[in-house]
Amino acid sequence: MPSYAAGQFAKPLKTVLRARLWYVIIMAIFGVFLVRLFYLQIIRHDYYNQAAAVGHLKEYDIAADRGKIEAHSGSSVVPIALNQTLYTIYADPSLIKNAPQVAGTLADVLKGKESDYESQLRTKDTRYVVIAHKATADQKSAILAKKYPGVGAQEQPYRTYPNGSLASQVLGFVNDDGKGVYGIEQALNGTLSGTPGQLKAVTDVNGVPLAANTDNILTQPKAGSNVVLTLDVGMQKQLEDILKKGLDHAKSNSGSAIIIDPNTGAIKAMANWPTYDPANYSSVTDASLFTNAAVADPLEIGSVMKPLTTAAALDTGAVQANTTYNDPSSYKIDDFTVKNIEEDGGPGIKSLADILNLSLNTGATWLLMRMGGSNDTITQKGRDTWHDYMVNHYMFGKETGIEQGYEAAGSVPDPDKGYARDLTYANTAFGQAMTATPLQLASAFSAIVNGGTYYKPHLVDATIAASGKQTNVQPVVVKNNVVSPGVSQALRPLLENVINKHYFTPGFNQAVYSVGGKTGTAQIANPAGGYYENDYNGTYVGYVGGNTPQYVIVVRVNKPKVAGYAGTAAAQPIFGDLAHMLLDKFNVTPRE
Amino acid sequence: MTYSSSLALSRKNTFASRNQNAVTFRTRDRSLGPISNTIILIVLACTLGLLYLTQVTKTNAYGYKVNSLLQQQQQLKQENDDLQVASARLESLDRVQTSDVAKSMVAVAPAATVQN
Repeated sequence: MPSYAAGQFAKPLKTVLRARLWYVIIMAIFGVFLVRLFYLQIIRHDYYNQAAAVGHLKEYDIAADRGKIEAHSGSSVVPIALNQTLYTIYADPSLIKNAPQVAGTLADVLKGKESDYESQLRTKDTRYVVIAHKATADQKSAILAKKYPGVGAQEQPYRTYPNGSLASQVLGFVNDDGKGVYGIEQALNGTLSGTPGQLKAVTDVNGVPLAANTDNILTQPKAGSNVVLTLDVGMQKQLEDILKKGLDHAKSNSGSAIIIDPNTGAIKAMANWPTYDPANYSSVTDASLFTNAAVADPLEIGSVMKPLTTAAALDTGAVQANTTYNDPSSYKIDDFTVKNIEEDGGPGIKSLADILNLSLNTGATWLLMRMGGSNDTITQKGRDTWHDYMVNHYMFGKETGIEQGYEAAGSVPDPDKGYARDLTYANTAFGQAMTATPLQLASAFSAIVNGGTYYKPHLVDATIAASGKQTNVQPVVVKNNVVSPGVSQALRPLLENVINKHYFTPGFNQAVYSVGGKTGTAQIANPAGGYYENDYNGTYVGYVGGNTPQYVIVVRVNKPKVAGYAGTAAAQPIFGDLAHMLLDKFNVTPRE
Repeated sequence: MTYSSSLALSRKNTFASRNQNAVTFRTRDRSLGPISNTIILIVLACTLGLLYLTQVTKTNAYGYKVNSLLQQQQQLKQENDDLQVASARLESLDRVQTSDVAKSMVAVAPAATVQN
């Protein structure tokens, strides 16, 4: 064994010190790294985690299934708006190898022109051309089965309306953004559309979600509720057919009609003409077609107001059902003359039945005078009382709250302000100088014939949640004692008398059923001032029933050109046909 | 263990008494060597790994199955939607009105009770 001298391997002090110095330096550097890492990874963890997530964690909305809209069909319920998945067929022209062959297949399946498809497939400078929208599943499968490179299909949910234009303005439609516009689709968009789901997913550089990542968070969408309407599709269809036929007969371009259950406020049928197909809303050029004119387009309702004026006068005790008065056939009010039509004859003793049957403007004016405690002057008390009835009893000038988009409130003039107040209020007594929608008229008329209860008009009968839980909509009483039950009872024979004194083909047997109504021929306000000379709107309000009214009908005919008064010649025949339709086909209970 | 120690043990046995047969045990410490331990550890690790792999594969297989079932469910739902649309179209009033059956029907006048 070799021997070594002592201290031969002992490190010099300088070396040891240097080593220790390096050790300290290295440890210090590690320390700095450690502190920095601690700061970045522990203290600033949330900040950097979030910053990283912004880059690769993306959120996607998953559309919820829109609820169906259903309606009654006799005793069953049928869908009138539902969802359908259709496909957009597209192509990438740069990948198409044999354009004539692909175009031939497309033409066979999609029934389009082969040459059009071929020119689309040869489009330069683009990698995406839409070949067809709304292709069916079968068409999509037939095209994709050929496995042509560069041809694909993108699924797209669509709202479909199997009954075409039936109740289109009541339904509204769903636009390209999936949002309901107009009608029920707009008013109940929140209920129908449900809650979209969400996918929070880690994505690749192109933003495509990585399906199997554990950091993905998926919230399932919650489907919207189904909505069952109060409409009866059979009644709706017949109302639309009768309205169209009546408008053609009246030589009118537009009109509306409503059938409402006066004992619940449920709308059984509601339509306007012209109409449109909500599935093809994009082809409509006149946007006014989208609006449900029966709730969105107020008009001066004309003499159909007279039953309401009569009911108010009876209810205040200003007149009795058998009261007569001396009608002067004209009143001079605020330097204007209120007069009747020529056929009503001259001055004479008239009854409440005459006011309604002959549609006496002077009679309605006299009722207003009586409400103010006078026989020949319109007083402030009369104006205030009538205003109170119009606004607080008949709910004119207020939206009804029906489940429709763009409902209008109409207008009622102030009883104490403005030019020619007395004349204005005399006009309101026979339905001029104020406006109301056909729906407001139907609801107010329902209240005076059903015993005095104003029900909120409604279109929704029930909602059915995705879980299957059904919530039925109960009738909502807006006001009791609109008029007393006695007044309501007294009014019905007066309205039946109007029917009996007017010509209907066929007529009505009042011994079996109770049918009452009133015509209206309303002047149309000219925006430049005054009224148009030769244009009128025809209106009709009435009911059919047995011991009690079962259906209330409102008809509106805009600017009819048929000879005669608009109310009698244009609107009345439509009411007659609708009343017969209800009596014949919709189980009206006869008188006992 | 030697004879003497075994004897000593038997004498110490408090349960043993005179004329009873004493039994002699030969005890030996048994322990695994480092190689055996390592092999056992490796086998255990492999078993655990295999178990883990089996479970992961099973989970993935179930994942694919669930995915495929979900797709099937979606497809059936879509088919159901399409059939509902087709049914609603076939039952639509316009179609019924223009059907051959409707065309062969005869219009009936309103009931006599309704007319005067």
